[in-house]
This record gives sequence, C-alpha cells and structure tokens, in this order.
Amino acid sequence: MTQLLFKHINVEGLANIDVYEKHGGYETLKKALEQKPEEILETVKASGLRGRGGAGFPTGLKWSFLAKDVFPRYLVCNADESEPGTCKDRELLLKNPHLLIEGMILCAYACRVEIGYNYIRGEFYDLCEIFEKALEEAYERGYLGKNILRSEFNLDIHTHLGAGAYICGEESALLNSLEGMRGEPRLKPPFPAVEGLYGKPTVVNNVETLCAVVPVVEGGAEAYAALGTEKSKGTKLVSVSGHVRNPGNFEVVLGTPTSEIIEMAGGMREGRKLKAFIPGGSSVPMLPAGKVDTPYDYESLQAAGSMLGSGALIVMDDSANVVKETLRIASFYMHESCGKCTPCREGTRWLHQILGEIESGRGKDENIELLQDISDNMSFKCFCPLGDAAIAPVLSGIANFREDYEELLSQAKAGAAAE
Amino acid sequence: MFAFSETSEKEIEKQLVKYPPERKKSAILALLRIAQQQNGYVSAEAMEEIGRRLDLSPAYVESVCSFYTMYYTRPVGKYVIMFCINVSCHLLDCDNLLEHTAKKLNIQVGETTADKMFTLLREECLAECSRAPVMRINNDYHVNLTPQKIDQILDSLK
Amino acid sequence: MPKKTQTETVTLTIDGKTVTVPKGTVAVDAAKTVGIDIPVFCYHEKLGPFGCCRMCLVEVEKMPKLATACTQAVGQDMVIKTDSPKAVKGRQGVLEFTLLNHPLDCPVCDKGGECPLQDNTFEHGPDLTRTEFTRYNRDKAVPLSPVVTIDRERCIACQRCTRYSDIVEQETALVMVNRGFQNRVQTFQDRPYDTRFSGNVVDICPVGALTNTTYRFKSRIWDLDNAETLCAHCGVNCNIVVGVRSNEFMRVQAKSGENSQANDAVDDGWICDKGRFGYGFVESSNRVLKCRNGKGDTLEANDALGQAATQLKKITDEHGPQSVGFIGSPYGTNEELYLYQKLFRQQLGTNNIDFKTYRQTPGLPVEHYDVGDIETSDMVLLIASDPTEEAPVLDLRIKKSVSFFDVKLAVLNDQKTDMDKPAASSLRYNVGSEAEVLSALIEALNDKPVRGLEKTAGIAPKQIKDLAATIQGSGKVCVIYNPAALTGSASDRILELLQTIGGLPDKQCGAIPVAPGTNAVGALDMGAHPNFYPGGLALSDSEKIKTLWGDEAPLQPGLSALEMIQKAASGELKGLVVFRANPVVDFPGGPTVAEALKKLDYLVVHDMLETETTQLANLVLASNGPGYDDGTTTNIGGRVQFRKRSLVREDHPPDWVLISRMIRALDPEAPSYKNSFGVTDEISQKVPGYEAINKNAIKGMGMPRKGSACSEVQGNGAPAAEKSENGALRLRVANYLFAHDKILDASSPLSHHFKSSTVYLNAEDAKALGIETGDEVKVVSGDAEVSAEAEVSDRCNPGAALVPRVSDEQGLMALVGDPDAAVWVQIKK
Ligand SMILES: Cc1cc2nc3c(=O)[nH]c(=O)nc-3n(C[C@H](O)[C@H](O)[C@H](O)COP(=O)(O)O)c2cc1C
Ligand code: SF4
Ligand code: FES
Repeated sequence: MTQLLFKHINVEGLANIDVYEKHGGYETLKKALEQKPEEILETVKASGLRGRGGAGFPTGLKWSFLAKDVFPRYLVCNADESEPGTCKDRELLLKNPHLLIEGMILCAYACRVEIGYNYIRGEFYDLCEIFEKALEEAYERGYLGKNILRSEFNLDIHTHLGAGAYICGEESALLNSLEGMRGEPRLKPPFPAVEGLYGKPTVVNNVETLCAVVPVVEGGAEAYAALGTEKSKGTKLVSVSGHVRNPGNFEVVLGTPTSEIIEMAGGMREGRKLKAFIPGGSSVPMLPAGKVDTPYDYESLQAAGSMLGSGALIVMDDSANVVKETLRIASFYMHESCGKCTPCREGTRWLHQILGEIESGRGKDENIELLQDISDNMSFKCFCPLGDAAIAPVLSGIANFREDYEELLSQAKAGAAAE
Repeated sequence: MFAFSETSEKEIEKQLVKYPPERKKSAILALLRIAQQQNGYVSAEAMEEIGRRLDLSPAYVESVCSFYTMYYTRPVGKYVIMFCINVSCHLLDCDNLLEHTAKKLNIQVGETTADKMFTLLREECLAECSRAPVMRINNDYHVNLTPQKIDQILDSLK
Repeated sequence: MPKKTQTETVTLTIDGKTVTVPKGTVAVDAAKTVGIDIPVFCYHEKLGPFGCCRMCLVEVEKMPKLATACTQAVGQDMVIKTDSPKAVKGRQGVLEFTLLNHPLDCPVCDKGGECPLQDNTFEHGPDLTRTEFTRYNRDKAVPLSPVVTIDRERCIACQRCTRYSDIVEQETALVMVNRGFQNRVQTFQDRPYDTRFSGNVVDICPVGALTNTTYRFKSRIWDLDNAETLCAHCGVNCNIVVGVRSNEFMRVQAKSGENSQANDAVDDGWICDKGRFGYGFVESSNRVLKCRNGKGDTLEANDALGQAATQLKKITDEHGPQSVGFIGSPYGTNEELYLYQKLFRQQLGTNNIDFKTYRQTPGLPVEHYDVGDIETSDMVLLIASDPTEEAPVLDLRIKKSVSFFDVKLAVLNDQKTDMDKPAASSLRYNVGSEAEVLSALIEALNDKPVRGLEKTAGIAPKQIKDLAATIQGSGKVCVIYNPAALTGSASDRILELLQTIGGLPDKQCGAIPVAPGTNAVGALDMGAHPNFYPGGLALSDSEKIKTLWGDEAPLQPGLSALEMIQKAASGELKGLVVFRANPVVDFPGGPTVAEALKKLDYLVVHDMLETETTQLANLVLASNGPGYDDGTTTNIGGRVQFRKRSLVREDHPPDWVLISRMIRALDPEAPSYKNSFGVTDEISQKVPGYEAINKNAIKGMGMPRKGSACSEVQGNGAPAAEKSENGALRLRVANYLFAHDKILDASSPLSHHFKSSTVYLNAEDAKALGIETGDEVKVVSGDAEVSAEAEVSDRCNPGAALVPRVSDEQGLMALVGDPDAAVWVQIKK
C-alpha cells in the first residue's frame, strides 16, 4: 500500500518537530531551496497533482495563474473542512501539522509568496493551538521567518480561525471571512489568483493538497505521476463514514475500486447490505450499490454520475432511508446557505419543506416532479456552487432510489384514505 | 459597559499583528471570539467596543457576528454542547443520542440548564465523521458516542 | 463602479441587434442602449455589479451556464440571447423563488404601480406559485427612523440598501444580519437609521420594503403628477422629482435611474434627507400668503408692489440714490435677483445691492469646476468647508471619488468634519488663522521657506510643505472652499492660492466655491454685489457697463449688506428692501440689527415665511418661492438649471412677475415677460457668461455658464492671527444641516434631528476653565450671551469655542459683531 501523507501518521508525537524531523521532515524543503522557484512549480505541474478540496483543479496550473509581477501575494490554506463526511484534514492537522507547514513553505517558495494564512474552521480550536505550536517550532528552527535556511526567501504563516459557516470553505467566501467580512462568496472573475486576499494575487489550496506537495517535491513529478490513473494522479485521503464496520481515513492510490476502500473500512456491518454511497461528500450525487466497483478517481466517478469531491465516502446500508438522509442533508444546506442569492436562499428552504412533507407522510405524487423542477431552477443559476451542491442529493436520490420516495408517498396516500 | 480584560488585550495584540495595519478589519472574528471567551457571549456593548477598535460601525460588527454560528449574543451555559446531527452522525443514530442528552440535562435542544452549566445545541458537521457520533463541548471533541459515554462525560463535568 | 474614462469599445450582438459599447460595460447596460430591458433587482448602476438576485439571467453563446447580465462584462463578438427558452425558464424560476415568501399585498403597498417586482412578474413571471406552505413571517411596517419604514416581509434581500449604506453614504449603518433565509436588513440593535442620506434607500428599494413614512398611504402613484425640478436647500441644486396631487406636495424623490435619468453632473442620483423630507415650508402655516402693510392690513399684490416702488422712488428723489438699498438672498433665482438688481440700479440709481455678510467677489483666477470634475481630479483640496452640513450631496461625491476613482483628498479646516475620514491628509489649523495658513501654503508652493506656524496656527511647517508637495505632484487639482467660512484677508488669500496652483507647471486647477444658500453663485453672477454688475463686471469697467446698461448706470460703489445695516442705524439709509432674508436672526449683531431696521423710514420685506424681520416691515410682499415659481439657479459648480414649479398659486403673482411689475411701475417702457424664460433670455443678453443659457440649452442636465475671471488678486501676506486676551476663546460658528429654523420648523418630520445648543471646547481649554462635558454654560461676548451645553472634544484646536448654529432661538449671531474681526467669547458656568 502506497502511503505518502499517512506514512508516519501513527508515529507517536509526530506533531513535535523533533519527531517529524527524525522521519525525514523538512528535508524536502532543504533540497527544494537549492532549486529555483520555477523548478518547484514545474515539478508540481508535471506531477499532475489536483486540488483535494473538492473541485480537483490542477494545482500547478492554479499556481501558474498568479498575476505576473504583482506583489505582495498571499497563500491561504483552506482548513475549513466543512464538507459533511470529510474529516481527513482534521487528522492531518491533528497528527502531522509540520507536513502542512512544510507543504505551505514549498508552495510559498514556488509562488514567491511571503505571507501565508491557515484558515482553520472555528470548531477546530484545538487544532489551531496545535498548529500554532508547530509554527513556533518551525520559526525556531529557521524554517519560517526571514531568510529561511539562510536563503533570500522569507515567509510568515499565521492562523486565522473561522467561526462556524460551511460556506467559508468556498474559497472566495473564505477570503471575505479572512478579510473580516461576512462569509458571502465573491463574484468571479476575478479569480483569487488574480485578485484574492486584499485584492492581491492569492493561492488558495486545501490542507491535503498542500501536504501532498511535500511527497511530490520529495519523490519528483515522475514518481508521483506514476501513481493513479491518466487524469487522477497520486494518492487521496478518503474519509469513510456511515454504515461500515471500521470507519476512518484511508490513503488510497487514485483508481482503487470504491468497494476496496469500503473493505479497508471493515466492510458492511453484520447482516447488512450496501444500499447507497456518496463518494465525495454531501455535495455530490449519491450512487446505488451497483456502482460500488467504480474506480475511486475523478474521471471514473464522474462517468458514474457523481464526483470525487473532497473524498468523503459516506456509506449507507439497507437500514437507511434515502429520503430521510436527503432531508437531513437538505436541512444542512438550508442552514448553511449564506442567503446572498435568491435561488439558493429560497430553493434550499423550499426543497427542505417539501422533503419534510414527504418524510413525514404528507407528501403528494406531484412533489417529486416539483423537487426536480425546483432543482432545475437552482441548477447552475445560483451565485456559487453551494446551490448545486444542495440539489445533488435530491436529484440523485430521486433518480437512484425512487422507491424510497414512492414508499413514503404511498404511505401518505394510505394515511389520507384511512382518514 | 464592556471593556476588554488584560488577558484579552494581550490576545488582541497577538491577533492584530497578523494582518497588514490597514487591514485590521481582518481581526474582527478574533476580537469577537476574544470578547466571547471573556464574557461567555458577545454583548451589544462588546460589538460597539470592537467597532471602535477596528474603525467599523457597530452595525457592521453585528452584521458579521450574526453571520457565524459560533458567536452567542445571549449568555450560554458554562459548557456548550454542540451535537453533530449531520449525515454521518445521523446514520449512526445521533437523533436518539441527542434526545438522550437532552433528557439527561432535562432541557430542550437550544436551551440552557437552570444551573447555567450546560447549553445544548444542534450542530452541523463537525468534521470527525469517521468517529461518529460526535459532539464538541467547548473546545473539546468527544467521539464514538454512546449513551453511557455521554453520561460519563456529562457527569465528569458537573 | 464604471471607470471614469474608458475609450476602447467592443461590438457584440444582443437578441440579434448589434451593439457597440465601451469595454467593461455590463450586459444589462449594453442591452439598454438598444432598447432591450433585461429585468434586474439587485443591480443598480451606481452601486455596481453584485449578482445576488439572479433576475437578469441570459444566455451567452459558448458559455455552459446562464450568465447574470448585470455582472457579465460584454466582450468583442459576444452573442447574448435574453429570450432563449433556457433564459426565459431560468428567469421564471428566479421570479418564483423571489415571490415565494413575498406577501401579495400589492393593493395596499406604496410601491404599487412603480414596483420593479410587480413589473418583472408581469413580464417574466410564472402565472401562479406552486408553494403550498405559509409564507415566511417577517415584521410588517417597522419604523427604521421617523421618516423611513421597513416592511421586512416584502424585502427580497437584494442588498441594494445595505450596499448603498456601505459604499455610497459610507456609514454602514444599514446592514444585513443573520444568514440564509433568516437574513434581514437591520441597523445596529434596531436603533434608528438616521443618517443624512437615509431616504435614498426608499428610491432604490426595488420593492415596497423601504418606504417613505411621510408618504405611506398618502397617495397611489397613478394619482400623482411627477414634476422634475430642483431642490432649493443648498448650493448643489440636486435634481428631484416632486409628486403632487391636487396642488399638494406628496413626496420628493431623487431624480435617479429609477424614475428618469440621474444628473451625474450634479447629484449622481442621490439627495439628502433635508431635500427629501424638508419641504414642509411650502405648505407651512407660517407662510406669508398675502401682502400687507405695517398695520397688518391686507393689500392686493399689485397695490402693494406699486406702493413699494413709488415709495422707494420717492425716498431717492428726496434723499438721493444712496438712501435706499437691497438685501437679497442666495435663495432667490437668477431671474428674481437679476430683476431686483435691475430695479435698484436702473430705476433707483444705486449700487446698494448685496446678499451676504461675508466677503466674496465674483470670478475666479482659475476655471470654475463642475461637480462632476471632482471625480476626474487627481486631488481635491477642501478648505474651510464642511460639505456634510453645508452641501450634503457634495459629501457623497467626494467620498465616491476617493473610494472609486483614487482621488486624493486633502482637508484644511479649523474643525473636525466627516471629511477627515476619507481624507488622505487632514490639517487642523487654529480658528481664525486661515489667512496665515493659506499664505504659508502659497509660499511653500513657490518653493519658498515656510515660517513657523505652530504657535499661531497650530500647524507645523513640515505639514504645509507636505501638502504643497502633494499639490505639486497632482495633475488635476480641484479646490473646494466655503467663502463664508473664511475670515479676514483669507478671502483674498484663497484667490492667490488658486492663482498660484493654476500657475504651477503641468497643472490643471479649478475651484468650487461652496457658500451657503441655493444660488450664491447665481447671486454673484446676477450682480447682487455693491461693486460688481452682473457677470462680474467691476465698476471700474465703466465702458462695458455703459454699453450694457446705458449712460445713466450708477458707477459709485454701493454699500454691502452689513454697511446698509450700519447706515440704517445711523439714519443715512432710509429705505430698504429685504428679499427672502432674515437679517434680524441671521446677520451678525442679531438684536442690534432689529434696532437698526426699526430706524428705517421704509422697510419692505419680500418673503414667503413670517420671520423676525417681517415683523418690522412697513410693507410685506408675499413671495411664492420654490415650489410655486419657475426660475433658474446656478449651482456651486456653475451649472445653470431650471427649477420648475410644481404647485400653482392662482391668487398671487410669481416673484419674477412681481419684481418686473415693480420695475414697470417706475418705467412703463420696461419689458414685461411672457414667462420666466423671458427673463432668462434677457439675462443671456445682459449677463456676460450667460450668453448660451436658454430654455432649451439647460433642459435635462442643465448647462455650465461661463465663469468670469476675477479682476485682480489683492496684495500679499497675511497678518498673524489676533491674540486672545484674558483667557477668551475665539468663537467659531459652525453649520448644522438640520438646524431648527423657519424652513425646518417644529412640525418637520426631521425634528428628530434637531439639536440643542452646544459649545465644543478643546480638552486643554476645558480643563483650564474647569468645564466638563454636559455642563450648562453661557457663551458670553460683551452684553450678548448664548446658553449651551459644553462638550469637550477635539473638534477644534485649543483657543477656540465652536458653536454650531442649531436653531433660530439659539440667538447665536448676537455674539458676532463685525464679521471680519475676531469674536472673543468667555465661557461661564
Ligand atoms: C460550498 C463549498 C464549500 C467548500 N468547502 C471546502 C472546504 O471545506 N475545504 C476545502 O479545502 N475546499 C472547500 N471548497 C473548495 C474551495 O472553494 C476551493 O476550491 C479549494 O479550497 C481549493 O483548493 P484545492 O485546489 O487545493 O482543492 C468548497 C467549495 C464550495 C463551493
Ligand atoms: S429592503 Fe429593499 S433594497 Fe433593502 S435588501 Fe430588501 S428589497 Fe433590497
Ligand atoms: S440584477 Fe443581475 S443578479 Fe441581480
């Protein structure tokens, strides 16, 4: 099993810089500083590393979009980890904060950034403390600050705690939040690489992405690109949750069949059968058991009708009712819609209202079509992708598990007839 | 009247240096958090004070404060229990656990116990999904919850 | 925010029509140019793209998703379809969402009939809603302030109002709180939304969520006659739309993109709350409706004006032309003031004509800048001016220029004002030292050493040098100053400064004098000055004067307004006409002015409201004034616009008719005019600079008149500011927008803004005097005293007592004597 990010994850005290260094920590940085920034950028480009935060955008390409010759530039690490089902960044931050710091330094060096922020979701107060301690250690050893390892390169990294808002995981909302505003998303373009934090060119990357930069630079682009499929290179942390025996975070080579990942998590519970799975967090369509052999990579999951998203594999066995879970997710999106745009603000609430009716046995047959049409009216019409995320479970649930809806609807009819 | 304590002032100083001086607005989330740490919640007076510190209108501060769920604008209990109810926890029966907790504390979700010890809140995904069910009490996570474990934790806090 | 100068254009197709627009234009605006109306809610031209309501969805070829036309910048060869099935369904869906929780109370909603939501629903909406749930309940009709009401259930969360509060008025007083469907428009802790510009949110709210409390349920809009006219409160001359029903004012709106086209050269589509809610004087119970004599007998207008004319003539026949005079008003129209000066110069033979108590001569040594020039300047130098209180919409324009067009703002003032916040640099000099400060700045600009000013002016030479360097480094400099706030020789120094800046290499320089009143610029242009004929013709320019006004034209210098009061006191002045002014309260001296006026043989007061001065008159002529009379005014930027009447009085002639009849009473040959434009046409012939001004030329946006060059800039150097004696403080009278006077009387809906008398003291002086904030004190000068509450603040430097004029009752002008001399006051507990 290839382990790049999780290689030493269970080493006792890894969060301590001594332990981290003992396991080869900051060696990559030392070597990298002997190269030119452009060379690091090229390596990351050539490795095929894609963003692990959800959208899967090629990381090196994103870095190369930074507006030329505009300084200061910023690096922002997205540690908002807010996509339901996702808990991998938490494990990285908890156990291996120095890996992230090293990754951030490499990114900053490649992108000629001198100030970085780690935007940590407010609930991760404990991790913020761990990360700040790690920062202190890194400053002490000269990995951060002025003239890092006696080079010309300077970098300061600060933490910034969020305060409870899913939408702040979306990069432009995150930047607003970091600037001290409401976490409403911004108009794009301009993209952060051109006008990001404080209007300056900014790289925003997920925790896992930045961590992955370390093995990419360490082993070289070719070695990294040798892993995975044609368009999905390297390894991915998958958070497996729900109805499996041993839920947890697993590092898998992209392209591993989803069923194997479920097996890694101990497989289904005693006497239970797989019913549905959400491969990439609550924002992506759910798939039926029949698709469980789909290779876990960006293009295969897309071909199967879903997305890899943030790598949160939520497993449901035959005890689950899709309508009930969809209602739960719908309630989440209603709660988390920032309220800025009309279709998302109103649509998430309306979907929730209708799903609630169906779930509680008061639904009507027309409701299914209405749910679909409301979803269509939201689809790609909202200000940011949250609206599209909100309709994914609804549409995929109806498409793949219509029987769960129909059962509740026929109960409703029976109830009405009995009255 | 609201005034930041000495400890808070030190903490504020640490926060302000993170941002360019002309961008001190960035520190608003931190100042709200510090005010809350100090008094348990963010009062209107605290918002006004934060506005003065950062050259922002008090309305602006309230606007930002009200966007985020982790700021309380009314007093809460000594321990705030954030009970995750999102899908991964939901699949593992968090609804019943939440009800169990509410019963044990003898309050409804959203309320604070009469002795001001506990406030029980529903919370969206806390990002510990593979160790669901999960709750967070103040800054600490508690995972793989069972009714017994919840009882134990709550008893230890009394 | 559209950039100020974009010359590059792109060509594209919208619904098959070819469109060429400047690069960067958003699709909504591009479509408008070819008559295609893309529906919008959140988009507002002056607020910039935001994209939250999603109403404006259109299809753009080669783009996978529908685009919001309000945020989509058009590109070369783009093909946009507003009517494709995909776009139509998209918009229908959005409207359904918008209406989901919107109450269907259109029949009782004030916005009914002019509501974008109604209109868009009619044109693009679904037929019925498919929701079966009860609408989300929100607050109905909650007062946001005494003049603005919010119906939260009608709000569609477009954030126009909150963005306005943030980026236009820059108060961030109105904000969104909460998130998701629970978000709502709110002030801090529901305190009143009482900024100076709060009413604009009523105009821009695309639904009936924000309404004008004074207009709620007063009228349906289809019963209103809407007249485009001008506000008559200050020198900006904002464009307004007055809604009238049955000859009664119903409401005032800004002339904006919502109802017409905003006048970007003047107000940019915004007005202040005084303009919107302060029109009560038009129908005030305090109005002078009929002419009357000193005994109180009512007179027919024609009899009264005839008596006035003959009586004045009789006085000049007996005592010579110097025995009569005219004190006009910066609130009169060009036509009114022109006719009055004509009456006094031509029929009565005197130059005793004035309208002000400060020193100012017509003309500038540099260009007279239009308000719009502020945006295109590199630097604005604001001197002794407090636009927020004196010309509010100017405050908005300056803030906009700083925020969006990177204009550098430098403030030179003796008091702290709201303009310090947007300013890049702000110098506070000691009260009364402006002449010295300006001289120093002139020296610095001439690269001469700057002498020490710390003691006398409270400013370090380095600060002056830095300011000079900024001016030298800016290409286009706009100087805005308040001539009425300059003391001593500063009125000369300011001209010298302008001349100096204008003379710097590679410099464009212009000025905007912002004096009190609606038409101070016009009044000077119309020759309401004892030493200047209309058009800034100095008396020494006798040849030109004779050509224009005949050989009889008086060339002897006249008396200034204050000199007329003095001569009235000494008995040398026998007859006086006071036109829409209240010297008893507003002139230096206060009660002593009343004593002087009482000595006159014949006092005619021509006014629309009863004042302390009308009480002394031998003859009161009723004036129609704004609302009832047509006329032109010239704003602070030198732009001439038409102030159309919106109400009609059948029983009394317009003021311009009344005055022209006075002229005809003395000279039957004199012209009579068909309408006010008849007078305007005469002005265009008789007033240099107004040649091009006529009815058609000033339609819509108005037109700048040509400013006159100033004759000569006087002398150099300035005396050091006078020294205080025995601990006295130098009085600075400041302005307050919502002063409780004859215009904003007790019945005004703005009365919540009224303030009590306050004296601002610097901490240093307060300490020495043993005074604390909240103390009741007396401000004493000689025999006169004014009560006030003390407030210790840094509003002015040590050595001064600053008192804003907050009401007529305050009696503040009693403290002031000769306006050119320093006023020293004692503060007593
Ligand atoms: C509603 C929404 C929530 C998101 N939440 C997260 C998140 O919690 N963490 C994250 O890294 N990216 C999140 N993203 C993706 C970010 O916008 C962004 O694409 C990402 O941080 C880029 O980093 P990457 O290229 O390394 O993946 C979210 C996106 C959306 C639309
Ligand atoms: S009150 Fe009116 S302007 Fe303000 S957000 Fe609501 S609909 Fe928009
Ligand atoms: S008008 Fe375009 S999104 Fe609102």
